[in-house]
Amino acid sequence: MERDLLPGEKFGCHSSDINLMIQVISYLFFDSGSDSPTTHTKDVTTHTRAMKLKHQELQERLELCILELKKLCIREAELTGKLSEDYPLRPGERLPQIRRRIGAAFKLDELNIPRKSEGSELNLVDAELALQMKIYEAARKLCEEVHLSKAVKKSRLMQCKREEKKLKQLQEMAFQLRLEHGRSSPLPAFNITQPDLGTSDDCSSLSDSVVQDEEVTSQSSVLPCSVRADPPQPPPMSPHSSADGSHMSRPVAPQSPLLNHCQSPCSSLDSSLSLNPSSVCDSPPIQHSPWTESSLDQPYQKTKKSRSSSKTSSPSKSEVLPPLEACLSALPQQLSHLKLSRTQSSSTPSTPEMRVHRQLSLRLSSPESYIHKERGRNRGPRRRLTEYGIMSPETPSLPLNGANIVSSEDSNSESSFSSYNSSPCQELPSDLPKQYQSAFPVSSPVGSYGPQAFPPASYHRSPRYVLSPGVQRPCYTEEMIYPTDMDMARRHFPQQAPCTPNRYEYWYKDAAVTHQRAHRPLPPDIRFTPQAQQLDHPLLCSSGLPRQVVNEHLKSWHRRSQLKAPRSRSLDRQGAIRLKNTPPREPPGYQNQNYHNQVSVQK
Amino acid sequence: MSFIPGQPVTAVVARVEIKKLRQDANLILGFSIGGGIDQDPGQNPFSEDKTDKGIYVTRISPGGPAEAAGLKIGDKIMQVNGWDMTMVTHDQARKKLTKKREDVVRLLVTRKSLEQTVKQSMCSYPRP
Repeated sequence: MERDLLPGEKFGCHSSDINLMIQVISYLFFDSGSDSPTTHTKDVTTHTRAMKLKHQELQERLELCILELKKLCIREAELTGKLSEDYPLRPGERLPQIRRRIGAAFKLDELNIPRKSEGSELNLVDAELALQMKIYEAARKLCEEVHLSKAVKKSRLMQCKREEKKLKQLQEMAFQLRLEHGRSSPLPAFNITQPDLGTSDDCSSLSDSVVQDEEVTSQSSVLPCSVRADPPQPPPMSPHSSADGSHMSRPVAPQSPLLNHCQSPCSSLDSSLSLNPSSVCDSPPIQHSPWTESSLDQPYQKTKKSRSSSKTSSPSKSEVLPPLEACLSALPQQLSHLKLSRTQSSSTPSTPEMRVHRQLSLRLSSPESYIHKERGRNRGPRRRLTEYGIMSPETPSLPLNGANIVSSEDSNSESSFSSYNSSPCQELPSDLPKQYQSAFPVSSPVGSYGPQAFPPASYHRSPRYVLSPGVQRPCYTEEMIYPTDMDMARRHFPQQAPCTPNRYEYWYKDAAVTHQRAHRPLPPDIRFTPQAQQLDHPLLCSSGLPRQVVNEHLKSWHRRSQLKAPRSRSLDRQGAIRLKNTPPREPPGYQNQNYHNQVSVQK
Repeated sequence: MSFIPGQPVTAVVARVEIKKLRQDANLILGFSIGGGIDQDPGQNPFSEDKTDKGIYVTRISPGGPAEAAGLKIGDKIMQVNGWDMTMVTHDQARKKLTKKREDVVRLLVTRKSLEQTVKQSMCSYPRP
């Protein structure tokens, strides 16, 4: 199918052509006609002179017109490749050499021609794209022409590049449009999720990066979640937890719609439940990540890194933590930072530290998330942990963040999990390992978290963290008096499963031991201690850290923490509950004791 | 590509042979893929069946090997050098396509227009 590149131009050429001819003809007529009247005039001489003058003038004009006509004809010929028959030829004059302009007409691929049914915008872009494709091709061919002068070649190259750029832009546009188009029909998730992300930005949950990936899928699964509860789960759990979830959410952010609250626990629960049976095996099921494309023109690894662009809204999403070493080196600073923030936070004891966590993670983050998501489970998890650990005690006020958190939680099971874990007081002693991940702010960068590490976003439904929400919730309902043994067994199992390097495992065991030692006898009131332990553990374990420094920090931190009410790590509703339920009452001596115990164990 | 659960899936496929272009250390294929069983198929703008988790060609770089080989945007890749591409993750697909040792990838692709042509021809020439 032949499509004229410049239909308007061509047409215009024609019409002006015709006009011109008419003009010329009329002049001719006028000329010839005027001859006869002149003879009849009385004042012949003057009249003839006048007529001559006029004649001359007209002739000049005719000349000009003919020139113009010629130009137009040539131009038309350049476009159409054919010299128009109107071309004024004087006797003896030869037809001009017509060089047809290259690229004037393109044959478009039928496939590329937009179908009518699609969106008009997409249609337009598609058409333009098809055309641009051809233009670019032509430009490229022009570039390849041999025997060109340098200047010409250069200009053609430039042209080619320009066309290529334009083409790429068009392609991008078309792709985006298509994506939107494709999304909008089956699942409007992206439009919906974007605002969510935006809101969650403020007080984001631990798993920013995870959120995006999960968001789409989890959103769609919000409703059915309760249905999906697994039989293997102990029956009291699910009802309890769901009830709890809604219950808990209220205190935190009363303003936020109840709906959100309910949803978030549900979704997290759902994920945890469904995964429970397979909790032992580490390999997470394949998850839907957002539909992305990847260019095959780069080597495999590189491509991976560069991809991750699809998620945009929250900064940390696409970013990943830097190597452990870097984190280690940065740790002291962070510790100091932690101190500062701690003091600040004391005013608001409830203190979820989501926001801080966020910032820190951002700081640490580097653009490798793609790797995380796609494959590096080992690496990813560790990093993840780091992120968690980093979250620090700056405390946004609860009411403000409550809604946001909730929203983020909705979409993401992991985040909800972390929030659950994060509040130190709520958790039973048995929860220790978990607490390490989420609750312990400082030490995390070291990577001691390895074993618990959260798997990359796509995997994050893996059993380990999934367990937590379900397990923990019951604790809440029962006012945290919970048989620790059961929990311990269950929890430790999955967490260790990840089979990270040995180095990580030992502290797990240690943690378990110490925790049993220290906590079991404890009355529910003293729940705060586990947190302290957590702090110690990761730090000690981390091989790279100067222990002295860390210890000092820890001690000061402990002191401080003892002084004030226990703070929740998360903005979660649980945090709020915790506030109510647990006043600051740990005896300082006790904590110190714990601390020492742990140290000895570690050594 | 539609299918009835329980019934064998049939697809009209075209063979596309892409000779990778060597640029420095890179092998250039000249197209991009999207999809995979690890990606949300509902967002795939190219698939008709929004549950289709196949690998789709999302863009073709002009003048690249893929374009020269006749690959088209929206093509669904069924096989790569004999490897199934209908049930793989995005990364697996990419790995298979970007193997450094192989200078040529042979794809089996299916596209709507192919099926239509076949359907038409089957209609006009009913089978004996």
